[in-house]
Amino acid sequence: MDKDIIIKVENVHVSFWQNNVGVYSLKDLFAQRKSPFKTKTILNNINTEVRRGESLGIVGRNGSGKSTLLRTIAGIIKPDKGNVVVNGTFAPILAIGAGLEVELTGYENISMLLALYGTKRKNTNAVENIREFSELGDEVLRMPVKQYSSGMVARLAFSISLANDSDILIIDEVLAVGDQGFQAKCMEKIYSIKNQGKTILFVSHFPDQVAKICNNAILLENGEMIHSGNSIEICNKYKQLF
Amino acid sequence: MQNITRIYALSKRNVILRYKNSLVGFFWGFFKPLLYLLIFIVIFKQNSGIPHYVLFVTSGLILWFFFSNVTGQSVGSIVGSSGLLKSLNIPAYFFPLSETIGELFNLLLTLFVFLIIMNWFGIVYSIGMLLIFPCIFLFALFALGLNLFLCSINVFFRDVGIIWNTVQPALFFLTPIAYAESSIDPKYKMLIQCNPIYYFLKLGRCILYDPVLPAWHLWSSCIIISVSMYIVGQFIFNKLKNQFISAI
Repeated sequence: MDKDIIIKVENVHVSFWQNNVGVYSLKDLFAQRKSPFKTKTILNNINTEVRRGESLGIVGRNGSGKSTLLRTIAGIIKPDKGNVVVNGTFAPILAIGAGLEVELTGYENISMLLALYGTKRKNTNAVENIREFSELGDEVLRMPVKQYSSGMVARLAFSISLANDSDILIIDEVLAVGDQGFQAKCMEKIYSIKNQGKTILFVSHFPDQVAKICNNAILLENGEMIHSGNSIEICNKYKQLF
Repeated sequence: MQNITRIYALSKRNVILRYKNSLVGFFWGFFKPLLYLLIFIVIFKQNSGIPHYVLFVTSGLILWFFFSNVTGQSVGSIVGSSGLLKSLNIPAYFFPLSETIGELFNLLLTLFVFLIIMNWFGIVYSIGMLLIFPCIFLFALFALGLNLFLCSINVFFRDVGIIWNTVQPALFFLTPIAYAESSIDPKYKMLIQCNPIYYFLKLGRCILYDPVLPAWHLWSSCIIISVSMYIVGQFIFNKLKNQFISAI
């Protein structure tokens, strides 16, 4: 395989088991006597590759399979068919705070996620960097995350995913919730990460952002990749969908 | 090495979450067996005819509550960790495993306190007591196997957690914890012998309560039960784990 290619997705096919109508418990299973699950195809025949240092945008309607594709690439979901080959490490996908434990405080979340992600214990700067970047005060980080506003959660989540020194950064609509100042700061950070030669996978509903950040993009529709290519073209196609 | 750090971080999270916002936290763990012990002393002690009844009951209760806590918490471990499972690429079995390990530490601590307090209730200290460690290991392996089974089924049918909580008291009384095995009508003895926990309890009690070394056939039945439970649990878990993300 070409050394330059950091992510290669070949013929990937992902399907989920879906509960049949009304079968949510054993009671229904015995009462209705039908198979409780049917398979639903989420992604069908996805092919794409990303070179080191390039960025890939993923656009599409709600429910078209964008997050599933990200999770498949990150190895969280195993594809039924096809291959995903990745030559690098990932930052955690903290899509609008999923993965944060709401009962724990900000600091506890930071240390748990850093440990789970495998950041070295010696890297004590990590916590400091997260606090600095998120602009959340000491007092806020001592509060349980359940008391945060959605913008604060997004700040914390995005800052934690940036703290890992990983090759591939996955950004799943995190920028939608932050205030203007934080959005601008994030965009700046994303550019600087890009300039360091790291790879970015970017999901967003703002085609202009995608066009600015990414070299290439793919457009998903009902789990199929209907277009791929230059990000500006794809974003125009995305706009035409509506 | 990295996996050890991860499992440690998860176990720590479980411990923090369990006693979050509670007043005396960890000590509630002692409170429950103590309450049961008092109830049993009031109801059963007179008629049981068991020497050192407190020691007899406590040695059983410690093992039972380990089992009951660990399964009760692990049932929902996959469902309750949906956020982490969806955002990080960590093996799903870490969650039931970290629950089991966290509870195991709890058990060791409880056992330590038990060994000191039971000084006043007629415990006979001996070197053979070290055999409790392999016994606990086997019991924990059995519990882990059961946890893997329960938590993976629970992802798809949420009533497994409820069913398990309902079945537990029945299992508790099917295990000779508060009464002597010999007090059971021979007709129903089969019923107790079908209960896998009975063997672990008997093994543990041989070591802690009777100053005799447990027979080899008791050891071998415990080994067979725990290993086969673990294999079954792991097998079912592996069959289902790829579909966890879609269902949580």
